[in-house]
Amino acid sequence: MGLPMNEPFASTASPIRADLAAAHARVWTHLARPGTWWDGAARVAIVAEARQAALCALCRQRKEALSPFAVEGIHDSLGQLPEIAVEVVHHVVTDPGRLGERWYRSVIKGGLTEEQYVEIVGVVAHTVAIDTMARGLGRNVPPPPIPEPGAPSRYRPPGAKPGGAWVSWIEPAEVSEGETGLYPTDRPPANIMMAMSLVPEEARSFFDLVTHQYLPGAVMRDFSREYRAISHAQIELLAARVSALNRCLY
Amino acid sequence: MLLRASGRTYDKTYDLAAAVIGAAQGDAGVPHGDLLVAFAEAVLGEDDSALATARNALTTALGPSGLVDAAGVVGLFNAIDRVADATGIPLEPEKAAASADFRTALDLDRFAVAERT
Repeated sequence: MGLPMNEPFASTASPIRADLAAAHARVWTHLARPGTWWDGAARVAIVAEARQAALCALCRQRKEALSPFAVEGIHDSLGQLPEIAVEVVHHVVTDPGRLGERWYRSVIKGGLTEEQYVEIVGVVAHTVAIDTMARGLGRNVPPPPIPEPGAPSRYRPPGAKPGGAWVSWIEPAEVSEGETGLYPTDRPPANIMMAMSLVPEEARSFFDLVTHQYLPGAVMRDFSREYRAISHAQIELLAARVSALNRCLY
Repeated sequence: MLLRASGRTYDKTYDLAAAVIGAAQGDAGVPHGDLLVAFAEAVLGEDDSALATARNALTTALGPSGLVDAAGVVGLFNAIDRVADATGIPLEPEKAAASADFRTALDLDRFAVAERT
């Protein structure tokens, strides 16, 4: 009997925590389903394109250039997505530390809506989190999930508007019924939680993954006990070094 | 900043500056910190041999569960960084204030979103 296709790591005997394995399985199902602005086939194509980016000659040349915008060319893509979407996927995957607002405005001007853009970022983020963990463990990445049929919901939160980020977001006071539970109720949401709020389903899914692959928000600052096989200090050392390697100040 | 807060809780001093830029001598005050930093660098790097070495060393030190959680954190922050950078979110004022000293010392503000606009 074959293994379910939407369960990453299901084929390996491993000490992965049950809650984390379940979160990964849920993510793989989530990625295969129709999203908010992209259908299931396009979302799975984004997963595949995120992996393809590592093989792109243009991305490699840009990464080595003093300015990524000094190098023109065509991405080595799988040909399943519009070129402007491929540009976003590849740039976010291969050179995140040099993403800039002028570049963001150019891809919006090039035909993507900001909602489509945020959903691409969300799908890429889910993929990178799981694939990077697989590399760390020395395992093959799971095969892309099988797309599910259906149309995107096209839900734009009524309270979303331009704020402190390049993309529109929802301020806590503007949360409507459709975004119930998106933000914590006992503290203001961090900007990273608001970053993808324009597409609430992506934000919800990603921060569920954060809870299991990192820590739940409520215990991040609870230093009275440890919640993982590595300590708070060890976790934060890893986080700080990864962010520095990615040249991410946040 | 959470690393600094953790250190205060346990009355420990971590070599934050060295840890962040990967120039720590030894473990930077964090148990097995040198192995964790080497592992993070190897996962984000392209040298599979170095990664295998780092993975084995970390497994020996922390056990298979420690390796799984370390790999999970590296993977998660490799993703979070992309969300932050691709959406152009600013650093919150309270976090900026709390980290001002070592951001200045390490010239980390050159990575700020505002510097890339």
